[in-house]
Amino acid sequence: MGRIVEYYRADSIEDAVATARRLGSSAAYVGGGVELVLRRNPEVSTLIDLSQCGLGEILEVEDGIEVGSQVTLAAISRSAVLKCYAGGSLALWSGRIAQNNLRNMITVGGSIGRNQPWNDLVPHLIALGAEVRFFDGAEHRTPLVSYIDAKRTGTVIEGIVLPSGNANAKGFMWRFTATQQDISLLHCSALIDVAGDVVRKASIVFAGRPGHAALYPQLGQELMEGGGSQDAFESLARSAMQAVEVGTDHRATAEYRRDLVRAAIISLGDWMTGDTQ
Amino acid sequence: MRISMTINGTQCVMDVDPDDVLLDVLRGAGYLEVKGSCHAGDCGACTVLVDGRPVASCLTFAARVDGHSVTTVRGIGDGTHAHPLQRAFVENGAAQCGYCVPGAIVSAKALLDENPEPTEDEVRLAMDANYCRCTGYEQQVEAVLDAAEQLRKEARR
Ligand SMILES: Cc1cc2nc3c(=O)[nH]c(=O)nc-3n(C[C@H](O)[C@H](O)[C@H](O)COP(=O)(O)OP(=O)(O)OC[C@H]3O[C@@H](n4cnc5c(N)ncnc54)[C@H](O)[C@@H]3O)c2cc1C
Ligand code: FES
Ligand code: FES
Repeated sequence: MGRIVEYYRADSIEDAVATARRLGSSAAYVGGGVELVLRRNPEVSTLIDLSQCGLGEILEVEDGIEVGSQVTLAAISRSAVLKCYAGGSLALWSGRIAQNNLRNMITVGGSIGRNQPWNDLVPHLIALGAEVRFFDGAEHRTPLVSYIDAKRTGTVIEGIVLPSGNANAKGFMWRFTATQQDISLLHCSALIDVAGDVVRKASIVFAGRPGHAALYPQLGQELMEGGGSQDAFESLARSAMQAVEVGTDHRATAEYRRDLVRAAIISLGDWMTGDTQ
Repeated sequence: MRISMTINGTQCVMDVDPDDVLLDVLRGAGYLEVKGSCHAGDCGACTVLVDGRPVASCLTFAARVDGHSVTTVRGIGDGTHAHPLQRAFVENGAAQCGYCVPGAIVSAKALLDENPEPTEDEVRLAMDANYCRCTGYEQQVEAVLDAAEQLRKEARR
């Protein structure tokens, strides 16, 4: 078990990155610290605290809404701005992940930095089209899905930017867990923009073992072309069962997860046609 | 390392190890009303308020709380009289063995400070961290709704 011998308070992101570079793999940035306390990394002996680096705000910016990496799930769930974004799905679900005394700790940066994209926040952010702002000595901005795939280390996640232009769209989230506190066996998130009978935009994300959160553009396309009939969702469910990459681990088989993919699409259909909330 | 925090309204300066979690620091300083059980963020027994919000003290680095205020169940009354939430827990049979109660009460306190008129669902959501092996939860939910009513009455007086 790793023992922390130094807790360093960075006063800027430049300071944080410079310190992390100097210390290499023995240093880790702290979000809420939940993961760092619970699953000790034997290599890590210094923590770099980012709470003085100005990353704790939710701000309306020119091209969307920026959520700082130190913002907690509870703060997202209370945010008036986010309650109005994409039907309020991010605010709603952030107030349901894990449990109350952890929602006040778990941060955006810790959820992304943990590099386990099957958690409950990351797939939904991908569906919403979030980009990550990060700093590695220079400023960068990249789609969250690419950031996750690149498995970057040593960079400070400054925050995410939720794009404007989702005003008429609504976020959907479905997850299957064995217990309420458990990480999902399968997670499905979507962003859907419907006008009358026309589906104008559909982003569908599935996440789960094996360690994956992926956007499936072909499923979004099929939904836009197929319309909202029950037959169309049955057909989409069949396509999704083939397309979505699922794996077996000690918690569930790939076959079981494939059935969950079907259940998620049927649930998406019920939600779109107003049969469920 | 030296940290300073306000605990139940009293300013405290403490020497802690960078590895220490808040639960151990509080208990080491005599705040034995803060209970540990799972030490893994699962049970809610160790819940305290940091700047008025519930956190699992077993998963909180003490160093992270430097400069902040901590409230335990002992800090929610006025020191002489029980807080309406504490009274309501007793009157509604919401405390049996009592182990979960310090965590449950502070979770409820944070809710009522933010939302004086919660629905039953809001109470359940705000206390979803707090496992109770004795009461079956119903009495605790009733206690919080009862305390909310008492507090509203007091506020009208
Ligand atoms: C009891 C329990 C129940 C849980 N239930 C759920 C659940 O239902 N759903 C779910 O999705 N998750 C759940 N989780 C997991 C939780 O979401 C993760 O542990 C999350 O990573 C914690 O966030 P944090 O901010 O505390 O991370 P930290 O522990 O602070 O950090 C996690 C990782 O991210 C890195 N990091 C932090 N901030 C940054 C940054 N700004 N830039 C770069 N790297 C950074 C850290 O160095 C570390 O490697 C649960 C955890 C526990 C303990
Ligand atoms: S002891 Fe902290 S949640 Fe159980
Ligand atoms: S009263 Fe015994 S665990 Fe709740």
